[in-house]
Amino acid sequence: MTSDPGETELIDRLQKRDPEALAAAYDRYGQIVYSLFLRITREQSTAEDLVQELFLRVWNHACQFNPAKGSLGVWILSIARNMAIDHVRSAQTRFATRLRPLEQADRVNAGAKTSAPESVIDHARTIGTAFASLSFNQRRVVELAYYEGLSQSEIANQLKEPLGTVKSWMRSALMRLRSAIEGGAVL
Amino acid sequence: MTHPEMDQLYELYALGALEPELAAEIDEHLATNCSYCMERVQEAADFAAALAGIAETKKPPKALRDRVLAGLGQARSSKTWILIVAALSAACLGLLVFSLVSRTEMSRMQSQLIVLQGERAQLQGAIETMRAAERNQLSLVRSERDQLQSALTIIRRPDTRSIRFGNQNAPHGWVFVNRAGGLVLVGAQLPRVASDRTLELWLVPVTGAPRPAGLFRPNAAGDSLHTSSLAVNPAQFKAVAVSVEPRAGSSAPTTKPFLLVPLG
Repeated sequence: MTSDPGETELIDRLQKRDPEALAAAYDRYGQIVYSLFLRITREQSTAEDLVQELFLRVWNHACQFNPAKGSLGVWILSIARNMAIDHVRSAQTRFATRLRPLEQADRVNAGAKTSAPESVIDHARTIGTAFASLSFNQRRVVELAYYEGLSQSEIANQLKEPLGTVKSWMRSALMRLRSAIEGGAVL
Repeated sequence: MTHPEMDQLYELYALGALEPELAAEIDEHLATNCSYCMERVQEAADFAAALAGIAETKKPPKALRDRVLAGLGQARSSKTWILIVAALSAACLGLLVFSLVSRTEMSRMQSQLIVLQGERAQLQGAIETMRAAERNQLSLVRSERDQLQSALTIIRRPDTRSIRFGNQNAPHGWVFVNRAGGLVLVGAQLPRVASDRTLELWLVPVTGAPRPAGLFRPNAAGDSLHTSSLAVNPAQFKAVAVSVEPRAGSSAPTTKPFLLVPLG
């Protein structure tokens, strides 16, 4: 394992193409992205392929990352999520959106405030715990939105449930997850 | 939309779950560089990224870390090695000159020179290995390009027939056949096969046993493009099929085809 550098140092070294920096990034984010890809693909070898592709993208595009626009962790997890969505979508969609991950990661990172570097991993752990306490329907709508990138109306169509019901499940689910990471009670 | 209304939507926006028209409205507002909303969007993006935690935590295999880092070796330019060799060569030369000046140091320097020359030889060997890997990569890219051109040539012919097969969440794609010569399979969500197995395409005649039409392996995403110059006359062949076979291929299917596409 490498020593754990601070966020700013890690980004600086990544942008200078220091392989040790990528090793540190892997040590920090490797497990969470592997878990995500394994959940999506259900195949260890495919999940490993996607992890390797993800870190190669991080390596090749680190110079384009602007730390003033967001944290490295959010950037990496956004790319990972979009790769996962592309994996579950049809080949036609996948081909059409091959360049989408980095573009979308930029869009959601367009804010002016940088989050604390370690918080995204801590928040992910908290959300993982809180997620288990959600109802089946709440978990289902969040999973369809997160893993497949479906809009609420697409989720309603897929589940054959009224849009209003889906919105209600989604709203309450997100509220409980948000409440968990803000330290509030998870009702 | 007002700020309180948009406040309710930012998490859905960052998650990509917002209806397109509402997302467009927020995009339009963000284009005004509203600092309040930019901050809310960033918070929502942090939250959406942290949703990765909903997946059950699994430890990646230890070897994966080495594999990821080894992958960088191929991405890094071999220029670094060339610079190292050049530097070592310069060091060798400097050492040689110095040894001529200082005869008392000659013997020790010669030993060091031999060591450095050995290291230089090792590095040159490493460069040759990397160059060979680059040539292989280039050859692979050329092969893929040629296959794509070949597929486009077949697909563009006016007398080429196209047959769509499968549904989402299952193997699906297109088969293109030409009676004068040409068969293209464009597939998605094809099954991954073990390293000692491959996928084999078969032409199923109206009567008689299936005929081999080539071996192929899908990529990590399950996509594949396979072309063959075989002439496919629908009067002679009723379907194409795909089965999992030993890596070297088979003369007749040894497993039940998981894909059967009627040409009729």
